[in-house]
Amino acid sequence: MQEKVLVVDQQKCTGCRLCELVCSVFHTGASNPSRSRIKVVKWEDVGLYLPMACNHCEKAYCVEVCPTKACHREPENNNRVTIDKKLCIGCRTCIIACPFGHPFFDIHDRVTVKCDYCDGDPQCVRFCDVKAISFTDADKTNVAKKREAFLKYAESMKQIR
Amino acid sequence: MIAIYLYLAGMGAGSFVIGILIQWGALINWMGVKLNPLFLPSIVLFGHTLNLSSVPILWGPIMVAIGAPFLILDLGIKWRFMYACLNPRTSWVARGFIILSIFIIFGLVLLAKSVLPFEWLHAESVLWRIPEIIAFVFALGTAIYTGILLKATKSIPLWNTHLLPLLFLVSALSTGSMAIILATLGTGLFSHDASALKVLMYAVQILVVIEGIVLYLYLSGRYRVSEQGKDSVRLLLHGEKKFIFWGGDVLLGLVLPFVLVSIAAFSHGNMLLIFSSGLSLLGGGFLLRLGVLHAGIKDQIPMHRLMEIQYDMRAMKIKENWNAGKGIGR
Repeated sequence: MQEKVLVVDQQKCTGCRLCELVCSVFHTGASNPSRSRIKVVKWEDVGLYLPMACNHCEKAYCVEVCPTKACHREPENNNRVTIDKKLCIGCRTCIIACPFGHPFFDIHDRVTVKCDYCDGDPQCVRFCDVKAISFTDADKTNVAKKREAFLKYAESMKQIR
Repeated sequence: MIAIYLYLAGMGAGSFVIGILIQWGALINWMGVKLNPLFLPSIVLFGHTLNLSSVPILWGPIMVAIGAPFLILDLGIKWRFMYACLNPRTSWVARGFIILSIFIIFGLVLLAKSVLPFEWLHAESVLWRIPEIIAFVFALGTAIYTGILLKATKSIPLWNTHLLPLLFLVSALSTGSMAIILATLGTGLFSHDASALKVLMYAVQILVVIEGIVLYLYLSGRYRVSEQGKDSVRLLLHGEKKFIFWGGDVLLGLVLPFVLVSIAAFSHGNMLLIFSSGLSLLGGGFLLRLGVLHAGIKDQIPMHRLMEIQYDMRAMKIKENWNAGKGIGR
């Protein structure tokens, strides 16, 4: 099976935070964005919004530092990095280790939680109105950008002729 | 809480290491000069003869055992702390759990050996050197581990350096030996003429100087490593944490103890001077760890940098447009 990843186009994001809401509803049953696994980082002064979800890094620091192996990779499940709630002791080492500031501490369950692609059907992708987040094959993540660049190139070549 | 753990574990392990060194020092011939056990002052407590070296050997593991629960208190689900040793292959938390457990267990075994009055334990047997050596190695491990625990965090430049474990080790040894001296005050163990105590005083002074040098190298190295490292050091030197750093770490932890111990050496072991220098050194050791913990700043995420570049470009464009507009207006 082809590995799929979450791709974010920050220029499309309007900062509505609907992804946070649906994520928390899916995972916790409560519409509480503070318990969501995706966070929209906002630079209001420039009008830039960036939904930040786990990158499921190839060399994941969170997996490395977890003392209980609660944070582990599942190659059979889209190669995702996920946290086993039953094993997590809530030491927050993964939160400190992640350079992207991703895993979050769930105050309610007293464990660390992170994006798990909603078991193959990411709710943030499903509900994003402007399609700022997509769930695409890992080797096709840059296709749109490449196409845009080549169109521009073709355009400029035409002008030269 | 982590600062309390780092402090107690460092001090306990440090004094254990120093205690063992004194004990072994009493057994070995130093170039023909043997440190006679008589030079180690001793007292009788509850029917047991305790000398200068056995006191820290006894309380070192207890100190670490008191410090370790502070790590557990910091966990989200406290009763699951036993799971923490499941991934020693890559996780330093798991390795630390094992190092601490072994040190505490062997330390408590040694404590039991010297306190329990059973004949069959053969407290004077040479075989007891084996658990002593193991406990010594793991005590050193515990003292270094307090720094490695922080060093393992790759995304915080202030912590991610080899000098941090070294700094904590030196600090552990200096606070450890000071704790030994402090504990002897008022118990009858203290006597300025005892050679072991004199050696300890010199050791404290030397360790404090080394600590100062390592601290300087550490901070200057971190200042140059990255933008966030620079921010962390600035936070300590003249930012929000300057009182912790200058008042707590430099003044209490380095300058005062060195000066006071030097004066005390001339005034034939003035108890008050040694007592105050000990308290300030121990306080400084705690504030050093607190400062380092509080000043840690995470590296910027790559996207953040991208955003900044975009922001700068936009600002430049707006400025250009504005300038151009002004030009037309003229």
